[in-house]
Amino acid sequence: MDSITQQMPENTIIEISNASVYQNEILILSNVNVQIDKGEFVYLIGKTGTGKSSLLKMLYADLPLVDGQARVADYDLSTIRNKDIPFLRRKIGIVFQDFQLLIDRSVDDNLLFVMRATGWKDKEKMQQRLQEVLDKVGLVGKGIKMPHQLSGGEQQRVVIARALINDPDIILADEPTGNLDPETSEGIMQLLFDISKTGRAILVATHDYSLFEKYPSRTLKCEDGSVTDTQQPILKETTALPID
Amino acid sequence: MAGREDKYAKRRLKTSYLSTIVGVTLVLYMLGLLGLIVLHAKKLSDYVKENIGFTVFLNDDVKDVDVIQLQKSLDARQYVKSTEYITKEKAAATYIKESGEDFVTFLGYNPLPSSLEVRFGADFANSDSLKILETELLKNKSVKEVSYQKSLVSAVNENLRKISLIILGFSCLLLIIAIALINNTIRLSVYSKRFLIRTMQLIGATENFIRRPFILKGFVQGIIGAMVAIILLVFTLYFAQKEVPELRELQDAALFIKLFVFVTLMGVIISWASTYLAVRKYLRIKTDYLYYH
Repeated sequence: MDSITQQMPENTIIEISNASVYQNEILILSNVNVQIDKGEFVYLIGKTGTGKSSLLKMLYADLPLVDGQARVADYDLSTIRNKDIPFLRRKIGIVFQDFQLLIDRSVDDNLLFVMRATGWKDKEKMQQRLQEVLDKVGLVGKGIKMPHQLSGGEQQRVVIARALINDPDIILADEPTGNLDPETSEGIMQLLFDISKTGRAILVATHDYSLFEKYPSRTLKCEDGSVTDTQQPILKETTALPID
Repeated sequence: MAGREDKYAKRRLKTSYLSTIVGVTLVLYMLGLLGLIVLHAKKLSDYVKENIGFTVFLNDDVKDVDVIQLQKSLDARQYVKSTEYITKEKAAATYIKESGEDFVTFLGYNPLPSSLEVRFGADFANSDSLKILETELLKNKSVKEVSYQKSLVSAVNENLRKISLIILGFSCLLLIIAIALINNTIRLSVYSKRFLIRTMQLIGATENFIRRPFILKGFVQGIIGAMVAIILLVFTLYFAQKEVPELRELQDAALFIKLFVFVTLMGVIISWASTYLAVRKYLRIKTDYLYYH
């Protein structure tokens, strides 16, 4: 595969250098330089429209990389071919604000579908993995429910379970708590934090600054068309950030 | 409560699936109905052409052996469907029966000539071909005269040509409408699942994996639609023949089977192609465009 490179440092899962992010030919972010290692928990913050989602979309190859270099889980995004994109996404767990579950099937079937779509064949192993991820996100016994029968927090846990199915190296979460109440949001963040402790990198786009103090971590800030890497937790500074 | 919602969601999915099949069925039924009309029109046209009268009057002094030779020579030609030798006596008997007057007794002799009644295959029954045959036959010593209604042959052929053109034009139009309607029905069905396709892409499913169930479903919908349409066509034929028994004369089982195979193929091909193209569109489209395309 041309798009796979072995040049990334062994511990690095995302490496972006001098990259520009475009949305419909409009330049959103320029000169982006970011490196994220395995097991890191990183916030991506910024006002609405500053390019948080666009940066994440570029990382899972939903937006093309036009300028610069970016490597995610050993895939070079500047040369990645369309047929390789599904395989890149199998190495990334994606969590959405609006869940994007398959609404016509149960929780179990949602997760089994992902397994089938990503090449799982052994039914016994599939069931075993299904129970493992449901257990990890605290949804044991909820597998037979349809998505609409679950609360928002439970649906987001299903999405996280789905993201964990293929044991990804990194989880990209786009406003994972955006549709949830504060208490449920805290539960989801705690879950993501726990997952990061198992060695997976987590990149969470959010503007829920109340979570920073409880779960302080490295923060990337999108502002004025660029990304600033604090390399350390933003705590008091965040309270001064304009919140939409 | 949840169980009721679950049943409702499942019922909605089934209704959507059924309405697509109903749409496909109705369009294929219309297509098949036009096919039946075309087939019957063709058979009727052939029937009319094959029954155009062509009489070869023979000289009075013609010997039986010459008549038989001429008849055999005509029968041997591919375009001749049948010949019938009408003797002077048979001609007189027929005329007396039709007119009710015994002209032979009145005149004291039979003035009617013996003749050969010739019927042609539909493809040959046109003015030009008949004219050539007429010229050839008139050179034969046994032949006195050749009689057929030239103007009728021309009129029949001209009218049938016009009717055929109209039916052909109408068939093409309906075929386009059929393709457009089935395509639209299936596109709407796939459109309603565009976000599902998007989700599948984002979790790492390959295009083939996403496309496969849609294609299979489109194929099944095409087959079911075609089967139901064929059943409706058989019922239509049955009732039409019950009301107009003459239609049985035009019946041709082999052609009907070909029509049913055509309807099935159209159902499968249009459904398959529409599904393939509709899914491909949503596989290639940018996320933002999902909201207004």
